[in-house]
Amino acid sequence: MKSNTPLLEVKNLDVRFAVRGGDLTALRGISFSLDKGERLGLVGESGAGKSVAAFSILNLIARPGYIAGGQILFEGKDLAAMSERELRKIRGNRIAMIFQDPMMTLNPVLSIGTQMVEAIKAHRRVSTKAAREIALSKLRKVQIPSPEKRLDQYPHELSGGMRQRVIIAIALLLDPEIIVADEPTTALDVTIQAEIMALLLDLCEQENVALILITHDLGVVSQVTQRMLVMYSGRIIEQGPTREIINDAQHPYTQGLINALPQMGEPGARLFQIPGSMPSLKNVPSGCPFNPRCDFATDQCRQVMPEYVRSGNVDVACYEVSNLIEQEKRMQEAGS
Amino acid sequence: MTSPLVDIRGLEKRFDLSGSFLEQITFKGGRFQRKQEAVHAINGVDLQVQKGEALCVVGESGCGKSTVARTVMGLLSPSAGEVHYGGQRIDNLKGGDVLPYRRKMQMIFQNPYASLNPRMTIQQTLEEPIHFHRPELARSEVREKVQEVMQSVGIDPDWGSRFGHEFSGGQRQRIAIARALAVDPEFIVADEPISALDVSIQAQVLNLLMEAQETRNLTYLFITHDLAVVEHFGTRVAVMYLGRVCELAETKTLFSEPRHPYTQALLSAIPRLEDDRPNYIRLQGEVPTPVNLPSGCVFHGRCPYANERCRQEIPRLIVTDGGSQVACHAVEEGRL
Repeated sequence: MKSNTPLLEVKNLDVRFAVRGGDLTALRGISFSLDKGERLGLVGESGAGKSVAAFSILNLIARPGYIAGGQILFEGKDLAAMSERELRKIRGNRIAMIFQDPMMTLNPVLSIGTQMVEAIKAHRRVSTKAAREIALSKLRKVQIPSPEKRLDQYPHELSGGMRQRVIIAIALLLDPEIIVADEPTTALDVTIQAEIMALLLDLCEQENVALILITHDLGVVSQVTQRMLVMYSGRIIEQGPTREIINDAQHPYTQGLINALPQMGEPGARLFQIPGSMPSLKNVPSGCPFNPRCDFATDQCRQVMPEYVRSGNVDVACYEVSNLIEQEKRMQEAGS
Repeated sequence: MTSPLVDIRGLEKRFDLSGSFLEQITFKGGRFQRKQEAVHAINGVDLQVQKGEALCVVGESGCGKSTVARTVMGLLSPSAGEVHYGGQRIDNLKGGDVLPYRRKMQMIFQNPYASLNPRMTIQQTLEEPIHFHRPELARSEVREKVQEVMQSVGIDPDWGSRFGHEFSGGQRQRIAIARALAVDPEFIVADEPISALDVSIQAQVLNLLMEAQETRNLTYLFITHDLAVVEHFGTRVAVMYLGRVCELAETKTLFSEPRHPYTQALLSAIPRLEDDRPNYIRLQGEVPTPVNLPSGCVFHGRCPYANERCRQEIPRLIVTDGGSQVACHAVEEGRL
């Protein structure tokens, strides 16, 4: 671990949704940190809470959702406790966001240029002409052919891949420290996805921007990120260096997720499958939320949520893993 | 080779864009002009599906793969070409003559949230096709049949009185599969059956489809954009681009030795767990619109190997040494 303070530090974040019949806990005890220029992947299936986590980083959780506890420290300041006015100075400016569906993000009745200029002028006092120049330079950066023409075009005139490039250009407009990308390529074809991911990776490296990438695609995570978090039912169950987790996952859920990929099985053979599906937030099982689907579940797992243990450079919340580590320790002690 | 179960010959499908006769007329430069436009969704596709195999059709959005599926099923009528089933031409059949084929051919759709009638219970949903196709069966026999298919897809038969919305996505897709299996079909067209599902659920549904193939001796036409699934599931693969088949091969051959430049690019774009960076063949430009098809090879505008001949002459599928069929002048001439 580096000694200097991280760029972003999330500590023990709880997010709840107030609904009829009591609160639903969408995120429970989320803690992670992000260094400058670091690329972090957030992995999980739908309902795991990855998008809620992304939105709460920018304190964008709308009612009935609310942050029930914990801190989101960006350069030492707590975003969870900030006023809307202060937040507005950070959102889009220091922390930018890229959403899943490029058609929903762009305003269909404004030209690309107008939308880009608007974003710049919201944060900086520059002339429209200067703002257009900045916009143009960012469009060049995302390798859009004939960028001058694009400024006067409307979103519907662009293809899906092109729109996502525009969105990335908008995210880069104010040279942010962090880009939060929520499933940026899910709506796109494979070849376009590969191009957009490569572009995002190159830009983050060139400009030294930190990236939080939310995705369900483990292949993309392994290609783009340095560290990853695996989420299940509102909790982080495993986090550590991406390569280490992909090559040697510790948590039974992560293992299952990787082994269920068709590319892991022999062609034509039965795929590994995790039985059942993720519990809904209304009835999360007690103890470890994964226990009803887990082959290793014991009574302990059904009663108390496991604490994180460290295995290599990876933090895992699983009794099976912690028991194995204990066992190894004892063996070593006995041996010496 | 024995005669194929399904034989698609010279299939073409155009969707008219120009509207009614009056809407086609424009007044320009002192005279009336009539303008007609059409989307060329499929442009001459020949495919044979052998009994017992799973023929996968892959391609990016807009390549016409779903249109092929729908035309084979008779949900769309072809603009040109023929569809034969078991030696009998079926695309021109009318009224009651189609019914015996409807029973033998069933379809599974992409979105299980849309394909189940929200106002029918699962029992009703599953009984309907049996009542329709086998009116001779007594009520108790129908009920037995429904129980049997529900069991075979892993849905508790006691849940028959529930409605679609009470089930998760994976369970709904199981029900959609049960509905297709209820009339004991021989041939199933599956249009992206797992792309709306989570990774761990995808594995469950794929396993179910493979089991059903084995126990019921089914033949599949499997439409997907996910190449990793194809590698696992398919017997043979047809790669489509802009309404044409550009490569057709045994799955193993296609993945070990892709010949067509588009297939090569497509395969390189799959995000693999082993990769540390996006690692793919860059294609120029984007897929052209199917309204104005490029002359010659539809891929020539993006192909790094294109020459004059490619711009003018449409390549035919030729058999290569490896046993795959490729529509590419460069491969035919030995340039690639």
